[in-house]
Amino acid sequence: MNTCTDCKFYLPIDVFKGLCKISKQDILPDDAFCDKAERLAKCRFCSNYTAEKEFLGKCMSITLAYPDMNAVSCADFKWISQH
Amino acid sequence: MENSAESINYYGHKPSETVEDREKKLTPSPRANKARELYFGAKSSTSMEFPYWYTRRWDELDGEIPVIRRAESLKAGFEHLTPVIYPGELLAMGKASFLRGSYPMPWLSEAFFMASEDKLYQEALESGKLTADTFTTLGKGGGNVTNSSGKVISIAGKFGVRVEEMPVMLEVAKKWKNRSVDDIGHKYEQMVPAYKEKEAIMRSVICMFDSGYTLPQGREVINYYYPLQYGIDGIIRICEESMNEVAGFPEMDRLYFYKAVITMLQGIKAWIRNYAEEARLLASLEKEEKQKAEYTEMAERLDHISSDPPRNFHDALQMIWTFHVAVLNEDAISGLSPGRLGQVLYPFWKRDIDGGLIDRGKTIELLECMRIKFTEIDCFASMGVVGGVLSGNTFNNLCIGGLKKDGTQAANELEMLILETGISCETPQPTLSLLYDEKLPEEFLMKGIECTKAGAGYPAWVSNTVAMEFLLNNYAHEGMQTEEARAWSIGGCLETSPGSWMPLNLDGEIHWIPGGSAPATSVGVHFISLPKILETVIFDGIDMRSGERIFPSHGYKLESYDELWQGFKDYFSRAVHVLTLTNNIQHDAWRKISPSLVNSMLKPDCLEKGRDLGQMGARYNTTFNVESCGNTTLINSLASLKKNVYDEKNFDLETYRKAILENFGYHTAQETGSYSLVDQKPNEHHSEYRKIHRRSLDAPKFGNDDPYVDALFKQWEEWFCEMTHNYRSLYDQPLYACQISVSTHGPMGAVTLASPDGRLSGTTFSDGSVSAYPGTDRQGPYALFNSATCWNHSQSQNSQLNMKIHPSVVKGREGSRKFLELIRAYMRKGGFHVQFNIVDSRMLKQAQSDPDKFRSLLVRVAGFTQYWVELGKQIQDEVIARTEYEEL
Repeated sequence: MNTCTDCKFYLPIDVFKGLCKISKQDILPDDAFCDKAERLAKCRFCSNYTAEKEFLGKCMSITLAYPDMNAVSCADFKWISQH
Repeated sequence: MENSAESINYYGHKPSETVEDREKKLTPSPRANKARELYFGAKSSTSMEFPYWYTRRWDELDGEIPVIRRAESLKAGFEHLTPVIYPGELLAMGKASFLRGSYPMPWLSEAFFMASEDKLYQEALESGKLTADTFTTLGKGGGNVTNSSGKVISIAGKFGVRVEEMPVMLEVAKKWKNRSVDDIGHKYEQMVPAYKEKEAIMRSVICMFDSGYTLPQGREVINYYYPLQYGIDGIIRICEESMNEVAGFPEMDRLYFYKAVITMLQGIKAWIRNYAEEARLLASLEKEEKQKAEYTEMAERLDHISSDPPRNFHDALQMIWTFHVAVLNEDAISGLSPGRLGQVLYPFWKRDIDGGLIDRGKTIELLECMRIKFTEIDCFASMGVVGGVLSGNTFNNLCIGGLKKDGTQAANELEMLILETGISCETPQPTLSLLYDEKLPEEFLMKGIECTKAGAGYPAWVSNTVAMEFLLNNYAHEGMQTEEARAWSIGGCLETSPGSWMPLNLDGEIHWIPGGSAPATSVGVHFISLPKILETVIFDGIDMRSGERIFPSHGYKLESYDELWQGFKDYFSRAVHVLTLTNNIQHDAWRKISPSLVNSMLKPDCLEKGRDLGQMGARYNTTFNVESCGNTTLINSLASLKKNVYDEKNFDLETYRKAILENFGYHTAQETGSYSLVDQKPNEHHSEYRKIHRRSLDAPKFGNDDPYVDALFKQWEEWFCEMTHNYRSLYDQPLYACQISVSTHGPMGAVTLASPDGRLSGTTFSDGSVSAYPGTDRQGPYALFNSATCWNHSQSQNSQLNMKIHPSVVKGREGSRKFLELIRAYMRKGGFHVQFNIVDSRMLKQAQSDPDKFRSLLVRVAGFTQYWVELGKQIQDEVIARTEYEEL
């Protein structure tokens, strides 16, 4: 399930909480997606990412990677097909 | 409020029944207030973006020239940092993607944040590198993530990391095993013949930490000149032109340095532009017109400074903040001080205010926002360092006053506003230091008094005359002359640091602006516990807490005071010798594996020479020091032994040994849960030791203008300051004495048995370096000043005097005048530094028992201001115990 930390409108304050960039309301990272949410580019939404074990995987089958890393500024990021 | 005056040390009459608040109350602008409230609710948080990309790029470039590899790795880190901009901000950019964000730097040291069962951690523990962590207490409130809960894991009792990022943190850390600065340095430090002694010294916490890699930069003054004058593209052009001149010629390292600076700056440009892009996104989402316009302006400003020099004050402030964070992101750093920022920015501000582009109200709002941004800085390090040394503080010291290049007074209108915002928007960062000189105008000094009275602990008052004398003593051999000595500033909490005057050209007019001109003074022998050394002398080289032999037998029977003093000098010298050598090796590993690029690029004359700071590119390079802790506890102990054992022969040394081991018949501080002497509880054996304890407490105490004990203090200072020059730094420069305790007097006291001055086991040492031990200064402030200035302070990088004054004593205009005269008197006697807590100690006791009501309460510790709730109990107890002056 996608949560607020997967949303491009999530503004993290700390590891416990954040703000919604649209509503400016306090939200929690593990809150469920709302109807305005849009997926943030993260490794686990990238076709180059392969999961190996919990919270760890590989980028392009070679390099260590982790699913929740923000990939907004990654030049090799490619959305997986179900996006 | 209830009077709880018991167990508080007073000088003068006891205060009235009512707990008295501080006098001056101003409020921040609504914008700054909102930002500060957001800060109060934020926890220290860690993310892995930067270290992940740094490590990934590093591994891709195996075999590349080290400085290029480093630059490429920094570039990868910067350009992948996720931008976060909070509502209402006027200054953008931060260390990581949280409000109080930071991240580990496993290329420096990977072991301390590993899970405690991990092999790496166990190895570090064995070598004594983590012993100080064990005896450190961190504040339980404020922004510290003290415990793991839910999906958040606590690291070092302070930093929170999301459980999703923990596996990659460990994997990345393990990639640095045997490659980090810590590990490489450790491999080679073992080649120092006395290495085993060094390990024992670390395990006994005679020394607090390895400074060579733990905080390899910091306690220095940054220099913002190059980006302000040339902009990023201008610096790149300078590097490109220089590359053309040096390519293929001898001293080829210059070529790689220039190339590395260009690469690193490309990363910083991308990082700034990512923030600009985020500002544009926020503007597109924003409905409220004013906020929308601010985001749009922010985006435009960031785009501009990503290439070009600042056009105005706001641009300049954004530029300096950006480079400040950029330096903090290249290393684990505490004490990167902005220096004389009000004088650096004055030409921009003056042009804007004369041109009607800004007014004082807008200036104050911007400066308040700057205070919040500086306060958001966190430094990711082990508990022993973050808690035991830093108390969670990052020591961004902003200095005001002093002299200009031509010797006239340097205070300006912008500095008056900096003081004003220090009152209206009380925050720990940046702390303020007023460089006191007799030429400074009365109006400016009175504004400083108004700010000090407000109670946040700043500005500290430091002597321009003493600092310049110190600098000329220690930097003349590198070419420093009087004119350049005037450009000094405080780096970190209280480290006198050399500066240079740089010619800022605005509209064809040259403004000489001061800035830092030397590398870190955070490197050297840090910190040496003087009372613990004395303890090993008394027990012939053995740490009686653990039973481990630290030093070989000194061979003295200790039948005279001279023998005792010689034994102390012998052991102290042994410790400084081995720690200097091992530290040099650690720092050599740092400069080879992880050289500074951002900070090097900023510091004169690295760009001119084509060398980084580790290759002595800076104008001045005599910066390694030997730091002491527990000065006054040592001297009071020596005075007690001299009087009771050698002069009056009240007891023999064996009787003292037994009394120390039995803690004078008291429970230990760990047992009572308080680290203050006044709170300790006697046990069933107390009557056996009552007499010797009484005599120890009654022995002469430093701080009372007593020649008996002051002579010992003078003897120590003169020997200490001189002996440090016998040791050579990595850069083949002599070391010098540095005398600040920061927070180390807490954990170092915790591992030290009772001391001959009557201090009990586990309680904190005296703070600072010329502060009296709590409750022992009974002759008033002027007697304390006489004791503190019984030696020449310019022999040392600093001296530190902390005082606590009840708010009623300095109330009103008359109180302010009296207060200024008090400070003047100390400066005129030759004192280097004095700082104050203006607070009713009973309020601190209330805050200790009900911290939630005191989230914003600030206190001065030793060179820094910190939120009360973020201080460990050791330091809280010590601040409460300090003598509170009820009259001056």
